[in-house]
Amino acid sequence: MPEADALLRVEHLSHSFGGFKAVDDCTFAISRGSISALIGPNGAGKSTAVGLIAGALKVQAGRVHFDGHDVTRLPAYKMARRGLLRTYQVSREFPRLTVMENLLVPPPDQRGESLLNALLRPSVGHRQDAALASRAVDVLETYGLLPLRDEYAGNLSGGEKRLLELARAEMANPNFMLLDEPMAGINPALIARLDGHIRRLRDQSGITFLLVEHNLDVVERICDRVVVMALGRTLAEGSMAELRQNPEVVRAYLGGGLDERAVG
Amino acid sequence: MDLILPYLATLAIFFFVYNILTWGLNIQFGYAGVLDFTFITFVACGAYFSGVFALGPGQKSTGFEWILGLSWPFPIALVMGALAAGLLGIVIGLIAINRLRSDYMAIVTLATGTVIYGLVSNYTPLFDGFDGLAGLQTPFSQWLNINYNQFTYLWVGFCAVVMVICWFIAQRILNSPLGRTMRAIREDQEAAEAFGKDSVRVRLIAMSMGAVLAGVGGALLMGFIGAFNPAGWTSGETFVVWAALIVGGRGNNWGGVVGSFVVAVLVNEATRYIPPIPGNATLIPTVRNMLIGASLIAVLWLRPEGIIPEARRRFYQLPLLPGRRTPAGGVESAGS
Repeated sequence: MPEADALLRVEHLSHSFGGFKAVDDCTFAISRGSISALIGPNGAGKSTAVGLIAGALKVQAGRVHFDGHDVTRLPAYKMARRGLLRTYQVSREFPRLTVMENLLVPPPDQRGESLLNALLRPSVGHRQDAALASRAVDVLETYGLLPLRDEYAGNLSGGEKRLLELARAEMANPNFMLLDEPMAGINPALIARLDGHIRRLRDQSGITFLLVEHNLDVVERICDRVVVMALGRTLAEGSMAELRQNPEVVRAYLGGGLDERAVG
Repeated sequence: MDLILPYLATLAIFFFVYNILTWGLNIQFGYAGVLDFTFITFVACGAYFSGVFALGPGQKSTGFEWILGLSWPFPIALVMGALAAGLLGIVIGLIAINRLRSDYMAIVTLATGTVIYGLVSNYTPLFDGFDGLAGLQTPFSQWLNINYNQFTYLWVGFCAVVMVICWFIAQRILNSPLGRTMRAIREDQEAAEAFGKDSVRVRLIAMSMGAVLAGVGGALLMGFIGAFNPAGWTSGETFVVWAALIVGGRGNNWGGVVGSFVVAVLVNEATRYIPPIPGNATLIPTVRNMLIGASLIAVLWLRPEGIIPEARRRFYQLPLLPGRRTPAGGVESAGS
């Protein structure tokens, strides 16, 4: 892939927990405007790779390039400010904030977050909040969450929390979303809604996606490219159709002859 | 009447001061989730620094020695005490918050406070060691010719004014986007960071603003009592404020008012005026501590969110301007 087309480029990334090499010389690139998937058996190092890219874990070896800059070892909040937004395997809503407040936290550059403005010029923050709230109403409407706007996020159902994660992420105006198993534990009807939203965000806002996903039907349906990881390293890259022909990938992951670690 | 009124005035002063303290701890813990187990150190910092700014110079030869001794008017000394506490909040915050999370952070605050306690009570050139500061002229006495009872009433008024200012500080932070971000960090620090929030910066602000209120409270005590020494800020005092916040309800400042009235005023201060029972001198203080502990357990069992829980902010209660779009698409001018 030409240098300019890659929004995210991961080079020779390695990470160990104690003596266990979770990620071992992992290399791949994600092109701008694509919806890509990161798949692999459990324990392949996918979530660790996500943590390393997003800055939640400190990179031990290798490099991460994002949007033309070397962002290796940048802390999580700085990655977010550069437009890389990640979600977690389990929903991480702010439980004792309402759904509406959950959507008002993410937007960047909130002037009301400065202590001086909060104390001396509260109207600065409140004015910006009014604008953000009216946008949040639109976003909540899109996700069908508007009736729940005043509910504590912690009281939402599992599926509603998944929608909230995406709605919240949209409020942050990212250019890259790193979703760690966004479809985990939700019913098929909701899966269809979520992948609809993902495609809409890519088409309307040009957001690039990387999904860690176990549901290969979803991957086949919405992802342009797939990166396969196994035992901490990149095993293969390509379209789903290409990967089905790759004996190594089939052996490691896709149906038939799975070893114990690869199941479920 | 001659006895009752000054007594009630004294209780009012403690009530107002404990309101300020509870709001301070609320900013740290109730808003931002910072476990500050050395809150009383910030109170002491405010008391000591307001003292040494307001007192005259200490002299080693007379057995009283302390730093500064600038004889500044007390209101200015109070501000200096609050600023000193705020700075100490940043220092302890940098040690505790920067690399650590919740329970480890709590241990580090407690340890840092213990170190400071040891230093202050043993190193006499600072604040006269264990004897502490003493001999502060009653504030305003250089301008007003009043007796001690009249001063007590004046101090009730002064504390009330300062308390109202502190209320606005605490409420404005809570209702701002800054307060919302603090609460988000309290709920899930990692997720807040994933949205670009600098959790260290925000929690340092909470720590130091809470410490500023603690320092204001300490300075008001200093001005009222005229003396301050290490016996007044043992680590147990921290937990009176904690108990007030937990019993009253964290995350909202009315809860702090209720808690400081029940725990700090009714239980902790009012019982100090019960005459000791002959032969059982330690009975009342012991019962007092038992009452505080029992009320804490009762609240945590029966009403874990406190007597007044954190209010759920409905859409139109959010601090927004009136006249915005309603969900239905019309225009509604709702108050905040």
